[in-house]
Amino acid sequence: MSPIDRRMFYHVNWPLLWVIGGLFAIGVLNLYSASGVRLGEGMQVENFYQKQLLWGLMGLMGMAAFMTFDYRRLHTVAWPLYGVTLLLLLSVPFVGKTIYGARRWLDFGLFSFQPSELAKFAVLLLGARLLSGETERLGLKELSFVLGLGLVPALMVVKQPDLGTGMLVLLLLAGLVLYRGVRPWLFRTLCVLVPLLTPLMWFVLKDYQKRRILAFLDPATDPLGSGYHILQSEIAVGSGRLFGKGFLAGTQSQLRFLPEKHTDFAVAVFGEEWGFFGMMVLLALFCSFLYQIAVVARDAKDPFGSYLAAGVFFYFFWQILINMGMVMGLMPVVGVPLPFVSYGGSATLVNFGLVGLVLNISMRRFLFKQT
Amino acid sequence: MKNLLSSSEQSAPRLGAGLLQCLVLGLFCLFAVRLWYLQIHLGPVFTEKSRNNQLRTEYLFAPRGFLRDRNGELLAVNEPAFVLGLVREDCDDVPATLAKVSEWSGIPVERLKDVYARNKPKVKSFEPLTLAPDLDFELIAKVEGSSVRWPGLEIISRTRRKYNYGQLLAHILGFVGEASETEMQADPSLSLGDFVGKQGLENRLDARLRGAKGRRLIEVDVTGRRLSEELQREPKAGEEIFLSIDLSLQQLGHKALEGKAGAVVVMDPDTGEVHAMVSEPSYDSNAFTAGLSAAQWAELRDNPMHPLQNRATQGVYPPGSVFKLVMAAAGLAEGAIDPRETVTCTGEVALGNHVFRCWKKGGHGTVNLQRALVESCDVYFYKLGAKLGVDRVSAYAKAGGFGSPTGIDLPHEKPGLIPSREWKLKRFGVRWTKGEDLNLGIGQGYTGVTPLQVARFIAALINGGKVLKPQLIRGTAPEVQAQLALTPESAALIKRNMIATVEDPRGTCRRALTSGVVVGAKTGSAQVVRLTDELRRMGDSVPYKYRDHAWMAGFAERGDRRFVVVVLVEHGLHGASGAGPVVKTMIDALFLGKKELPPKDTAGVEGPASPAARLNAVDTQFPEPAAVEAPAPPDNAEGAQ
Repeated sequence: MSPIDRRMFYHVNWPLLWVIGGLFAIGVLNLYSASGVRLGEGMQVENFYQKQLLWGLMGLMGMAAFMTFDYRRLHTVAWPLYGVTLLLLLSVPFVGKTIYGARRWLDFGLFSFQPSELAKFAVLLLGARLLSGETERLGLKELSFVLGLGLVPALMVVKQPDLGTGMLVLLLLAGLVLYRGVRPWLFRTLCVLVPLLTPLMWFVLKDYQKRRILAFLDPATDPLGSGYHILQSEIAVGSGRLFGKGFLAGTQSQLRFLPEKHTDFAVAVFGEEWGFFGMMVLLALFCSFLYQIAVVARDAKDPFGSYLAAGVFFYFFWQILINMGMVMGLMPVVGVPLPFVSYGGSATLVNFGLVGLVLNISMRRFLFKQT
Repeated sequence: MKNLLSSSEQSAPRLGAGLLQCLVLGLFCLFAVRLWYLQIHLGPVFTEKSRNNQLRTEYLFAPRGFLRDRNGELLAVNEPAFVLGLVREDCDDVPATLAKVSEWSGIPVERLKDVYARNKPKVKSFEPLTLAPDLDFELIAKVEGSSVRWPGLEIISRTRRKYNYGQLLAHILGFVGEASETEMQADPSLSLGDFVGKQGLENRLDARLRGAKGRRLIEVDVTGRRLSEELQREPKAGEEIFLSIDLSLQQLGHKALEGKAGAVVVMDPDTGEVHAMVSEPSYDSNAFTAGLSAAQWAELRDNPMHPLQNRATQGVYPPGSVFKLVMAAAGLAEGAIDPRETVTCTGEVALGNHVFRCWKKGGHGTVNLQRALVESCDVYFYKLGAKLGVDRVSAYAKAGGFGSPTGIDLPHEKPGLIPSREWKLKRFGVRWTKGEDLNLGIGQGYTGVTPLQVARFIAALINGGKVLKPQLIRGTAPEVQAQLALTPESAALIKRNMIATVEDPRGTCRRALTSGVVVGAKTGSAQVVRLTDELRRMGDSVPYKYRDHAWMAGFAERGDRRFVVVVLVEHGLHGASGAGPVVKTMIDALFLGKKELPPKDTAGVEGPASPAARLNAVDTQFPEPAAVEAPAPPDNAEGAQ
């Protein structure tokens, strides 16, 4: 069977593509405003939006590439990729490049690469492979095995330190586990144990992370320190009111009161300039995006495809929840970008690649039936 | 479609598929509600906060109103001053900078650190914090010259209050100072570094003098850099105010009292306007605006001569024989005196086993009211005091404005004291005695008055009984505080007796005699300590602090211009010799245009016109209080307001 069948083009998930296009367009438009700084007269716009457009084009190619092969081949790649990831993560403390005080990067001369990005994909793949093979709901043994496999790379990422990505890896796996389902008695036990044990996490956190959590609980205690991000972000979103201050007219962002405005807090700029109305449109787009993926997961031809799609679903779901929650003051400050809206090259590539994977699963849903 | 459904049941866990959809719905609901809460419900709150981020209000100083004397002479103006400020945000090393400033200016570094620590919480980091309020040009040059090496130091130009006659008018004008914490809390329009009136008229007229600050709205970015500005309100300059004070008269009074402690009050009896109010010794108002050091302040505060005290309104003295005018008016009002009735003064009056002496050994012989006033016979007034009793005397004195503040526009005025039976019982727990009635009659004992109160009472005697509020602002409508029980006949009689006190060869006030001017007065010597025989023997050579206070209170008139002049000289011994020359100087200046002090030995010996003729002149005026309205002689025109 040739990897590309002509019939598959009829089954490309056009709604999902439209939603992605819309989100990316909004993201670039917003980035244009978010990277602008008002001077005495006029504005100076940094060229982040151009770079993002470039990354987007590259992402589209990546997405196309992810659609060309049969996703079932990934089944065999899962374990080797996991092994390579662990090796790369292990090498980071010794040969990695330090940026902003964190050692996350491997320098390959032409480009730098974050093994932690790869870790998300490797865990997604391995999780999908293992869980799709489970015929029954998970018992304690299976659960421990799967979570243990996720915990190894997650802890290595957290040590870099990159709490956000480490958490995402674990949350992604946890989402997949829930998608599979655990035995009722185990589920009930977890419902009791997890809330009880979560506070113990406190002792693992670094001081700056503790401060962020305290600042989240009460931003007023430290309005110029850790609470500053949350406060300014809430002010930006809140002052947008019903219809916003207008494109390029957000004072919080143009006058640089809002920190990290083109990356983690980009959506606050959107909220300030487009108001409740614009935010509802954006939220609706994100939800329909997630819904499309959920439908693909439900309708996938084989369990591996279904779990892969569910993994992608959780990958995006957690990022949206954490980032928007942070911007709206519902979560502590964690460095998690908002897909398609926050600026970031490798994240854009990965996002488009994963969407390509979902499209791949989606358009092959009928083919297998015939074979 | 059928295929789809059947296949999905095989590949996707059924509960899992439902879970994903529930999560999407939950996400939507959570954020929709939160967005509604932030943007719609709390929208106005956050809009306000975003405006506070973006916009800053800057206030523009309004120049403080000038103060002028009644002829337009400038008394208080504003002059440029240079302030050294420190912008914390720009300063790399605060302790080193403070040390450098200390080295340049000579201000101890501890004091600078103290100023810095005190002001730090009140000033934003990008605003200049005032380190030194008044820079000389040498220091300005140093700071400007090394501004690159010491970033954050800034020279700010401001206006400072300048008193052209700091010593002369300190007690009237007072001074301004930087607003204190409590003042800023009471008045939100005040901010750090603003000047407010702290004393005197500067304090009382603060609202009119201060004007209104201008306001400018500035758009800033997160670093505080200005992007645009908009003037919202022009600063409104403070009002210019003309005082009733006549600068040259004030200067003369100041000179006449030079080296002494005392007070001079010159007041218009018809309007209550104060033309001169001198209190000596004085201080320099300018010392306060520049910022007084602790040592300077301690010196002023602890000076045994009390230069900070305004003796005209805050000095409380026994009135001595000046009180006999109150007694005479009270006696006439109560019908206790027949002016023709005589009393025999043998030099003493006995009451019980105590003997009350007249100041004149051997007595005055037969005296009626006029002689008793002219020669200041004590025995006559002992007897009048006994006859009237404390109740009637104190009621009349209080009606005449004694025992309560005059209400002049100056802070911290003293009310003085008029004793009464109830007061003594409450104060000492002892009943009022008959002997105290006698002492009250000659203005001794507990009675305490201020020179301004005396001036107000004399004015009431002259103007037909109107007790006026003394005014310090030119052209203020007269404010009658009370009406004294004084028949026109009594008023004329007292006035005639006061004139006789000046013009009679035996009169105690002959020194005030001025040719061409009708002058009436009464002296007083207020005992500071109970007279002992030892002090009595020492005569005029008693130690300074035991000497009597010298009073002279009177009036002078020519045509329709008339003035009340009251002089008190602390420890001046005798009213006539201690206070008389000062009264004479003021009258000369008021009516003869003499702005110089007379040679010491000639005061009071000018030949008068025939006393009888002058007395008649008074009578013809009586009972015309409206005499004021007679056309003014050309020579007074300039003096009339």
